[in-house]
This record gives sequence, structure tokens and C-alpha cells, in this order.
Amino acid sequence: MMNKNFFDKIKYAKTILIAAGIVIAIIVLWWFIRGVRQTEIMLENDQHIDVTPQQIESIRAIGQWEFLAISNEELVDTTRKGLFTDDHLARIYYGTVRLGIDMQKMDSTWITTQGDSITLWLPRPAILDNDFIDEARTKSFHESGRWTARDRETLYRRAQQRMLHYSLTPQNIETACKNGDVQMRRLMLSMGYQHVNIQWK
Amino acid sequence: MVQKKMFSYHFVSIIMLFVAVMLMACGQKTEPEKPSEPVVIDTIPQMVMQIQQCSRLYTTEVKVHKIVTHDDVVRLKGNLMNKQFNIPLPLGDRKIAIPMDATLKAYIDFSEFDERSIERDGDKITILLPDPQVVLTSSKINQKEIKEYVGIVRAHFSDSEMSNYEQQGRLAIINSIPEMHIVETAQANAARVLVPMIVQMGYREEDITIAFRKNLTITDIIKRTMNR
Repeated sequence: MMNKNFFDKIKYAKTILIAAGIVIAIIVLWWFIRGVRQTEIMLENDQHIDVTPQQIESIRAIGQWEFLAISNEELVDTTRKGLFTDDHLARIYYGTVRLGIDMQKMDSTWITTQGDSITLWLPRPAILDNDFIDEARTKSFHESGRWTARDRETLYRRAQQRMLHYSLTPQNIETACKNGDVQMRRLMLSMGYQHVNIQWK
Repeated sequence: MVQKKMFSYHFVSIIMLFVAVMLMACGQKTEPEKPSEPVVIDTIPQMVMQIQQCSRLYTTEVKVHKIVTHDDVVRLKGNLMNKQFNIPLPLGDRKIAIPMDATLKAYIDFSEFDERSIERDGDKITILLPDPQVVLTSSKINQKEIKEYVGIVRAHFSDSEMSNYEQQGRLAIINSIPEMHIVETAQANAARVLVPMIVQMGYREEDITIAFRKNLTITDIIKRTMNR
């Protein structure tokens, strides 16, 4: 009877040990699986530019009166023939051609007044700045092969020519003229003149 | 005796159930990520033009030079068994320096100008103008002066990458406009343009005041700046 109790106790202890072993194994397995699941390995490269100062090269007083702004978006591409495949480069340039008058180029006689009448002698609106492309805003549309600084410079010049071609039309200059007329007339009427005469040279 | 056996069977059964629950929990999958919306790129070559009638008096031009630099180091990052690591890969370094020039112009918008913008008191005249605004009118990348260093296991900088850095450089210039104090200069220069014009209309220089609206109060910025 006593022996039977003794063996029962051993069996009971064995069961407890097996159960404890299983629990420990589960905990170890769970810890390992969690560790593996949380493991992350990645290649990373930062795409942000470094913080560098900007330098003011010049500040100058100007007097440019803008009457018409023509915003352009130009897709320019180039192809280089290769032995097996061709290389392509396509970029989208942005630029704003501004039409108006440069007050610094006007002499002292461009305004004549007589009582409540005023006459303005204005030059025809022209392009205010030949550097009008915002090249830093350019989007790269497609590139295959390797391209040099000279290739990009050529594309820039082509975009510039095309924007000028589409913007400096007699129609746009006429629109700038009409808007200049409206704006200057309104300004002079606001100043108290009853009769405003605008003459385009 | 039977009770003890039953107890041990129950105990083992509970542990097995616990194991099953744990394994199920470990095997639980997160919801599959929704497929991202495809990025639509218009591939048709096009020329877009937008024409805007305006009345802006540009009074100040500022030329800015900036060298955009980027140090492109590939790093092996992550965590392994809850230990974080961040190792720069050897021979994986790339560097680029892009010199760029930008032109900023400050202007007075005359589109809202009317008789309410003028105050007269006898021979004296005061012109009330809105505060100047600054716009980036052009930028130029000095393509020939771009310098790059590329490690032997790395590819050259692509046109797309360079455009990305240039756009960031452009944004940095725009963000630094308040530090350049262009507005104050533009206000002074506005008087340099407008005062001679008003003098030609018959007013005496000393009777002309150019003032700017600012935060509900009118602040006289410049008076008779021609003699400065």
C-alpha cells in the first residue's frame, strides 16, 4: 500500500515536471518567435539635402511694372542613338515670362499734366527679365543612359526658346498693352485726374 | 487516486490549450495592406500656358547663391532580437554639390489700388500701399560646376535624384526669405520709383508721403527718401 502511494507520488511529480517543461519551452518559443517577428533589417539612405547657407550676391533697386505674366510648363526631351538601345532624357521646365515696362528706362518727360488732364507716354510692353525659367523646379520625367551637364544645358536653352516663342506673341503684347492702359488709367483717376490720355510709343 | 489522475489530465489539457492559444496568437496575421493607389503619370508631351493680367510694381531684385550638398550614405538599420543597430556600409558613399543661383523680386500689388489709397491734405499727398510681396522669379543650376563623388559600389546620381535635391534647395531659399529683410528694402525702393513719378505730376517732393498698411495701423516707412 505504501509502495503504491510512493509510485503514485513519483508519477504525479513526473507529470508536474513535464508540464513545467512544456510551459518553459512555450515561453522560450514565444520569446524567440516574438524576437524574430520584431526583427527588422533595412537599407536606408537619407534623401534630404544638408543644411547650407545661402549667400546674397546683390540687392538692387528696380522699377518694373508688370502687366502680363505668362506661366509656361514645357516638356523637352532628347534622344541619343546607341548601338543596341537608344538613350532618352525628358525634363519638364517651368518658367514665367513677364511683360511690362521698365520705369528706369523712361526719361523725365513721360508724364505731362495740364490742369485736371494727364498724358502718359509709355513704351510698348516688353519682356522684363530674360532669365525667367525656374530651373530648380524642373521635374525629371524620364532618363535612360548617362547624360552630361552640357546635355542638360542644351535642354534648358531649348525650353527657354520654346517658352519665348509661345509667350512673346503680338497677341500677348497687345493684351499687356490693353491691361497696362486699364491699370495706369485707373491709377491716374485714383490720383484725382479727370482726363487720362495714354500714348504707347 | 482517480481524482489525482483526472487532475493531472486536466492540468495537461489546460497547458495544451494555453499552448494552442499562444501559437494562434503568434500566428495571427495583421490585416493585409491595402494595395496603394497607382500613381498616375501623364505621359503625353504637353505645353501648358497660363496667362494672368496683373499690375505689379517690382521694386527690388535680390540675387541669391546657394550650394546644395547631399551626403548619401547607405546604412544598414534595424533591430535584431530587440537590439537596435545602424551601420554605414563601406564603399557605399556618394556625395554631390549643386551650385545654384536664384533671383527674388519684391513687388507692390497695385491691383487693389483705388482712391481710398490716397489721402490729400492741402498740397500734401499720402499714398497708402499694401505691404510688398516677394516672389522667386527665376533660378539657374550651374550644371558645369556640379561636383559628385560616387563610391565604387554605387550608381551615379540620376536626373530624378538631382532634380529632387535642386527642388529642396529652391524651397530652402524660399524659406529663408524672411531672414533677408527684402520687404524693408522693397518699401524704401517703392518710394524711389513712385516719388519721382508724383513729382512729375506737379507735387513737391517734401509734400509726398509713401506709407504702408501693416496690422491695422499705418506705419510710415519712408518719407522723402529721394535725398537718402
